[in-house]
Amino acid sequence: MKHYLYLHWQSARTALAKLVRQPVANLLSLLMLSIALALPISLYLTVSSLQDWIGRLTATPQITLFMEMSAEPADHAAVDATLKAHPKIASYQFVSRAQALADLEARHALAGVAEGLDGNPLPDAFVVTPTSLEPDALERLQKELSGLPMVAEAQFDAHWARRLYGLMALGHHLTLALAVAFAVALVLVTHNTIRMQILARRDEIEVATLIGAPDSFIRRPFLYHACWQGLLAALIAWGLSALFVANANPAIQELARLYNEQVELRGLAPRELALLTAGAIALAAIGARLATRQHLRQLAPR
Amino acid sequence: MIQFDQVSKRYPGGIDALKNLSFTIAAGEMVFLAGHSGAGKSTLLKLVAGIERATAGNVLVNGQNLSKLRASQLPYVRQHIGLVFQDHKILYDRSVLDNVMMPLDIIGYDRREALRRVRAALDKVGLAGKEKTAPIRLSGGEQQRLCIARAVVHRPAILLADEPSANLDRAYALDIMELFKSFHQVGVTVLISAHDETLMEDYGRRILRLREGQFAS
Ligand SMILES: Nc1ncnc2c1ncn2[C@@H]1O[C@H](COP(=O)(O)OP(=O)(O)O)[C@@H](O)[C@H]1O
Ligand SMILES: [Mg+2]
Repeated sequence: MKHYLYLHWQSARTALAKLVRQPVANLLSLLMLSIALALPISLYLTVSSLQDWIGRLTATPQITLFMEMSAEPADHAAVDATLKAHPKIASYQFVSRAQALADLEARHALAGVAEGLDGNPLPDAFVVTPTSLEPDALERLQKELSGLPMVAEAQFDAHWARRLYGLMALGHHLTLALAVAFAVALVLVTHNTIRMQILARRDEIEVATLIGAPDSFIRRPFLYHACWQGLLAALIAWGLSALFVANANPAIQELARLYNEQVELRGLAPRELALLTAGAIALAAIGARLATRQHLRQLAPR
Repeated sequence: MIQFDQVSKRYPGGIDALKNLSFTIAAGEMVFLAGHSGAGKSTLLKLVAGIERATAGNVLVNGQNLSKLRASQLPYVRQHIGLVFQDHKILYDRSVLDNVMMPLDIIGYDRREALRRVRAALDKVGLAGKEKTAPIRLSGGEQQRLCIARAVVHRPAILLADEPSANLDRAYALDIMELFKSFHQVGVTVLISAHDETLMEDYGRRILRLREGQFAS
């Protein structure tokens, strides 16, 4: 067992040394692989960051009840009582029209806007947090609440966000399709790299076979070469995606700030990086395995 | 040690290189294999080494019936045999040392022990001090010695040499033969082919004479 491990360690080391010794040729295919990996990763990071953010927006859906402008404190009290007794409402908050205007001024730095206005155009409102997150139940509640006396309108806060969420699901599918395409590309590129190497080392393979090298011995250096290449490609792709995130973030944050939101693209989580690395290595190994199987069969002196 | 039992070899294309051959070589014996070009000498040696497989009959080497072994097992048979190829099979893109190292790499010796053995083998064939040399800069006789060093570095029980004295002048050829004799003297079973019988006759060993894939009487 120890001997076996030793053999593998030897192959792994030699393969890495060879990889480093021909930097230009290897760098090109390495870059090709890295970029191929970095594209779906960047898209994935974008989509999942946006998804996280939208998820946060829609996680606690709220319904805002706007009162008629003519509503009296007695009307408020009636609505208040209904809300308090309602089994499907977790909590609610009364926002007076004066408070709403103050909020608006503070949030959008529109100090003094009230002076320019002819009185306060905002209605009194209740912000209601329902117990259920289920879309149908929410809709029913919204209908019911909009029917309360002196309630002008019951509005979902994040209606548009829900739509966007659906759009993001589409983005997710796109990422997946892209990832599959590039995974196949990774296998093919590795296959080709290894095929070239086998051809370049025909003589060596022939002699080794003649003096007693089993297929596993012949295959091993190529497998290790591919695995190193997969590992390095994954790490470089990680670097490229980090670069993308760093570059894209200021622009996205700028845009989000216009809507008074906080959105930030995230980098790969450690778990995702591990998955990426393992995946890239596995795919590269598959490519190498296919190439060696095909070509060793042709070169076999039997 | 080596036993052929009614062995025939037909190559794809229909050439019968060996026809119904039977013979036995005892452990520790030194035997010559004679015959003109095309007689089947290389084919016979390749069957012993499991590089080619018999189309009929049994080839027994070191107690194993190669005809019954799976193809994936044949490399391990070869690891116990030393082979000197007719066309040398030297890798010219690596040093003498790295060429001789190959069998040990395949078997998986650790580096230090392997180096020790390679030096011993090179010393034995008279190439001490040429470890770092590129094989292309060796003379024909030295290249043959390199092949012999590679064939014996892992201390095989059987040594097969396919026309090792071809293309060498007589003095060199005799040197090489002496070298094989010295391996025979330490117990290695040696089988050497040649198309020139004059070299063999001096040694008084058994000679298997092949003609068109059969033993000539
Ligand atoms: N790989 C091969 N495919 C087809 N025919 C072959 C092959 N190798 C050898 N032969 C034929 O088998 C016969 C014996 O060849 P070989 O064993 O090389 O003889 P020798 O080594 O005595 O010169 C020859 O007729 C040769 O042409
Ligand atoms: Mg021959």
